[in-house]
Amino acid sequence: MLLIHCPYCNETLPELEFTYAGQAHVVRPEQPSGQSDEQWEEFLFIRANVRGPHYERWRHFHGCGRFFNAVRDTVSDKFLTTYEADAPRPDLSSLTERQK
Amino acid sequence: MSQYRVSGRGRVDTSRPVTFTFDGKRFTGAQGDTVASALLANGVHLMGRSFKYHRPRGAVAAGSEEPNALIGTRRGPGRFEPNTRATVQEIWNGLETNSQNKYPSLKFDVGAVNDAAYMLFSAGFYYKTFMWPKNFWHKVYEPFIRAAAGLGVSPTEEDPDHYASRYLHCDVLIVGAGPTGIAAARAAAVDGLKVVLVDENAEAGGTLLSEPQAQIDGRPAWDWLAAELEALKAAGVKIMTRTTAIGYYHQNMIGMVEKLTDHLPELPEDTPRERMWRVRAKQVVLAQGALEKPLVFHGNDRPGVMLAGSAQTYLNRYGVLVGKRPVIVTSHDSAWFAAFDLQDAGAQVQAIVDLREGVHEALLSEARARGITVKLSHTATATSGRLRVSSLRVNPVSGGSVGAGEEIRCDAVLMSGGWTPSLHLFSHTKGSLAWDDDRTTFLPKDTPEDCLIAGASRGLWGVEAVLKDGAEKGREVAELLGKTPAQVAYSVAGDRTGTGISMKELPTDRSPGKAKAFVDYQNDVTAKDLRLAVREGMRSIEHVKRYTTNGMATDQGKMSNINGLNIAADALGKKQPQVGLTTFRPPYTPTSFGAFAGYHRGDHFEVTRKTQIDAWAEENGAVFEPVSQWRRAWYFPKAGEDMDAAVARECAATRKSVGIFDASTLGKIEVVGPDAVEFMNRMYTNPWTKLGVGKCRYGLLLGDDGYIRDDGVIGRLGQDKFHVTTTTGGAARVMNMMEDYLQTEWPDLNVWLTSTTEQWSTVALNGPNAAKLLAPLVEGVELTEETFPHMSCVECTVAGMPARLFRVSFTGEIGFEVNVPAPMGRQLWETLWEAGQQYGITAYGTETMHVLRAEKGYIIVGQDTDGTVTPYDAGMGWAVGKKKPDFVGMRGLARPDLRAKNRKQLVGLLTEDQSKLEEGAQIVFDPKQPVPMTMVGHVTSSYDTGTTGRPIALALVEGGHEKLGETVYIPMPDRTIAAKITSTIFVDPENARLKI
Amino acid sequence: MNAPVSSFTSGALVETSAARISKAPAIGRLSLRARGDLAPFDAALGVGLPLSIGQRASVDGTEILRLGPDEWTLTTPVPRTAQIEAAFAEIYEAHPHSLVDISGREVTFEIEGAQAAELLTLGCPRDIETILPGQGRRTVFDGVTVVLWRDAEDRFRMDVWQSFAPHVLALLDTGCRELAAQSH
Repeated sequence: MLLIHCPYCNETLPELEFTYAGQAHVVRPEQPSGQSDEQWEEFLFIRANVRGPHYERWRHFHGCGRFFNAVRDTVSDKFLTTYEADAPRPDLSSLTERQK
Repeated sequence: MSQYRVSGRGRVDTSRPVTFTFDGKRFTGAQGDTVASALLANGVHLMGRSFKYHRPRGAVAAGSEEPNALIGTRRGPGRFEPNTRATVQEIWNGLETNSQNKYPSLKFDVGAVNDAAYMLFSAGFYYKTFMWPKNFWHKVYEPFIRAAAGLGVSPTEEDPDHYASRYLHCDVLIVGAGPTGIAAARAAAVDGLKVVLVDENAEAGGTLLSEPQAQIDGRPAWDWLAAELEALKAAGVKIMTRTTAIGYYHQNMIGMVEKLTDHLPELPEDTPRERMWRVRAKQVVLAQGALEKPLVFHGNDRPGVMLAGSAQTYLNRYGVLVGKRPVIVTSHDSAWFAAFDLQDAGAQVQAIVDLREGVHEALLSEARARGITVKLSHTATATSGRLRVSSLRVNPVSGGSVGAGEEIRCDAVLMSGGWTPSLHLFSHTKGSLAWDDDRTTFLPKDTPEDCLIAGASRGLWGVEAVLKDGAEKGREVAELLGKTPAQVAYSVAGDRTGTGISMKELPTDRSPGKAKAFVDYQNDVTAKDLRLAVREGMRSIEHVKRYTTNGMATDQGKMSNINGLNIAADALGKKQPQVGLTTFRPPYTPTSFGAFAGYHRGDHFEVTRKTQIDAWAEENGAVFEPVSQWRRAWYFPKAGEDMDAAVARECAATRKSVGIFDASTLGKIEVVGPDAVEFMNRMYTNPWTKLGVGKCRYGLLLGDDGYIRDDGVIGRLGQDKFHVTTTTGGAARVMNMMEDYLQTEWPDLNVWLTSTTEQWSTVALNGPNAAKLLAPLVEGVELTEETFPHMSCVECTVAGMPARLFRVSFTGEIGFEVNVPAPMGRQLWETLWEAGQQYGITAYGTETMHVLRAEKGYIIVGQDTDGTVTPYDAGMGWAVGKKKPDFVGMRGLARPDLRAKNRKQLVGLLTEDQSKLEEGAQIVFDPKQPVPMTMVGHVTSSYDTGTTGRPIALALVEGGHEKLGETVYIPMPDRTIAAKITSTIFVDPENARLKI
Repeated sequence: MNAPVSSFTSGALVETSAARISKAPAIGRLSLRARGDLAPFDAALGVGLPLSIGQRASVDGTEILRLGPDEWTLTTPVPRTAQIEAAFAEIYEAHPHSLVDISGREVTFEIEGAQAAELLTLGCPRDIETILPGQGRRTVFDGVTVVLWRDAEDRFRMDVWQSFAPHVLALLDTGCRELAAQSH
């Protein structure tokens, strides 16, 4: 069972308080009706299948209730960082550097 | 005192005799004995039959690694457990135990014929022997193998015990309370650090319990141990015995199983049998020690052949001599000390046989002083004796050739092939291992966890060395936690340090192909099997393991892994690290299902949610059905009624007069804020801007893929306030989905969501008399067609209670839903029940609700839809706001596949023979086509009784909307049913009945 | 022990040497959601809203616990509920927010006694010791979302949605007896 740092509560808590919410930084287009079928397919269905650091979303469901983002290494299952939902995507090289 | 008990030795209390039975025979042991030590004290070595060959077996070890001595234990009805290790089970007065895998008796077992057929049952025999003919597997081979092979039988009665679980957070967890763990705990227990020290044994002390001769800091080991444990308790260390760390999971989460009652003669009330601890430690020190390896030679499994270190444990910890004329065979110094201890306790050691050419002079002189014969450069090539070893055959080895054999008479063979560091938990961390050539073993290297490994489990040997290492690691973790622990030094006299070598199977002068030299006792795997596996092409140790099943029994290869690796590596002509080590997986020792289930059984198996009105339903004879986590009243049978009769009555009464229904489980969400209407527009397919305050609308929720996710009636209670209802099962999911869009896609919207599912108890009244019944109880609104038409809502007072009143219908009749604060639900229900008596009010359950709604063609999301149904498929295009710029699912609905013709569409079905269809039944257009037929849809809802006078069904059928009036066919096992496609509305298509 | 909720009465439900569980009397509960400038809300309440998650404030028998970045739960004597609603309604136009009455949604169990904190470890995966006396958190107990108020080292309140309460109480009951049996 993982430990997850909630960026809103600023506490590191057991995974059982959280729910997984899929890949992060998949932005719903402002004007979905203006999307081509290909673009919409990409948005709806196409996801990364990363071996290594993966940008993903979690929700502190049994806590503050907020969705937030995380970078988790899918090989080691370790979180490199978590950050608020509206924060920019963190630079991977700085995170992996910190991990070493 | 029994024959083999040695006075003045051991930690058991011989003044407190304990009586138990083994295979029906009574035995007496001492308080503190295990079943194995008590049986050995009575001279009994034969404790079981082996898995495959049914060979007689005795205890080979003294701890949890025991592969042979598996027994069944019983404590009255229901309390039976198979495959318990006799070396771990403590005895208590009245304990019943029995041996396993034998017929008719342990001493004479017909299954032992397998042993004679040894040459047939070689590696991979399952794969080779039983391949053909195919149908023989089920009929012949499997029943035979199941009957002949195997361990204990599964219990058949319900387990009356209860099981518990707990979370525990600590700074330092130390696994293993031997000298290493104790020293680590002592060093780490500084400055308020929360330290937990855990050990699987009944008492702490580890190897010190078997080495009383050591003097630590000038005190005898056991005095030191007692004082040290007291000091640890005083320092606040939580010491947990009979508690096994079974698995090491991510981020220093350790699973531990505590056994609380298996050693007690009386079961204390309210005490669970076992408790699963889920421990989260900031730092972990693994001090699990090392496990002794057997030597691999012909007949090394005969009862009486056991590990030398275990014999030492039986003597020093339990005061039991495992034999009076033992012979020692070893490749490690440690067994020499076992010989000396047994000799000093009155045994006559027949010889010390050492594989090595030379050993330390100190050992030789100790042996000489005791008059023990020493045979260096000797190998063991056979044992004899039927149910107990009676002699060992040894041969000199010189320059790689094995000389003539010599029989040594004995009543026990004590062997040592050296020691394997216990790396199980370390391996669970995905820790890497490094091969150590000197010690011929794997040692721990790196781990990604906050974990240190200390003492014998990293290859150290001797009490002083491990105390020092334990203290160092304890200090290290305390420092990592920001503390400054004191330096502690230990001095040990009488320490038994030593070295040894690691062997493959021992050299022999006989045909190795015929040798029954066991590597894995529990799975009956021999050295020959391993070599055969390599000859037959297995190259990786993972393949060798699976082909031979070496290390795959419940002991997980604690004794066999390194011996197996040595042999496989030799057969492959490679170094061990090139062949690799198989993976250790949790649990460390076999763990009961009860421990994993914890509290979650019986009434506490899972949450059962009940409404405030549930108790009334129960008192009034309702039959319940589970709906997601809720239990809901299904129907209310009167005396003599079956379900069909009850539902028919409930339907008729509701259509004729008035029915009352508990709708409290519907999900409810309060949507509040200046952007509430914008949010609703974006979430739901329907337009909301023009919905007036005090009005409701049926809302349809899609996913962005365009498929129906949920539905419900939504009321506008204020300009900025909506009362949203969802399906019962969808409540949490819809709330999560809404929060997701709100928080991550539209954080700019000024609107908030609050779950009010359980704020309100909801009672639905339906039927021609609903308004008449309700009107006198309502203050604040008149219930007429003009003042409160269908699809209105209002905050008012009902029967004196603050209420939200909705005029909605899920039945096609005049309908109201009254919401009052949840705790008032039952009071409201009873008030309406009383007031409804004059109209013959009828309580109905979910089944009648389903029938009545189906008659009107109202869908149930999740029953008539399955996640691939669009609003258009469901015939609800009218609910889609086509002029809106966007809503969740709008773009999805424009996907080419979703606009395709011939999609499966929701229609009504009426069977030609008036029979009831089965829900889920497949539909075809042409019943005469060859099998496999082309299936064009399925029945989603089907009801026998109702108010239409005939069975009705809803179905998804390809292009169904274009096929009204056509006939489709539903092939069933016994016949094919023809049905006509109809509209989904079977009752009152004009909605005339909705009018007051 | 899966009795219907309505059968709970106020007062002690379980009592052993380890801990005592009772049902708290009915109280007003409000869920407040707001963001931006909080001063107007502080003024309406007569006390500053706690600024970090898990912190509490109180005024005149009203207690406020911050549950999330824009979420507070308020408990208050029943008659005060309407007053608070009225005060907030006045500032709604200028300072939009959501204030929802959830008085009926939950029951509160009072958990007190020498082993109260330990009792919670039967179902709470988080470290109870990180919730200091005077704080509170939303967390999970045996799979059920609860709000835990720590009033003292050995005294807690647990808010549970009505329909989950019997399940939670059943485990607390088992735990009270189990802990008491063990401490003998």
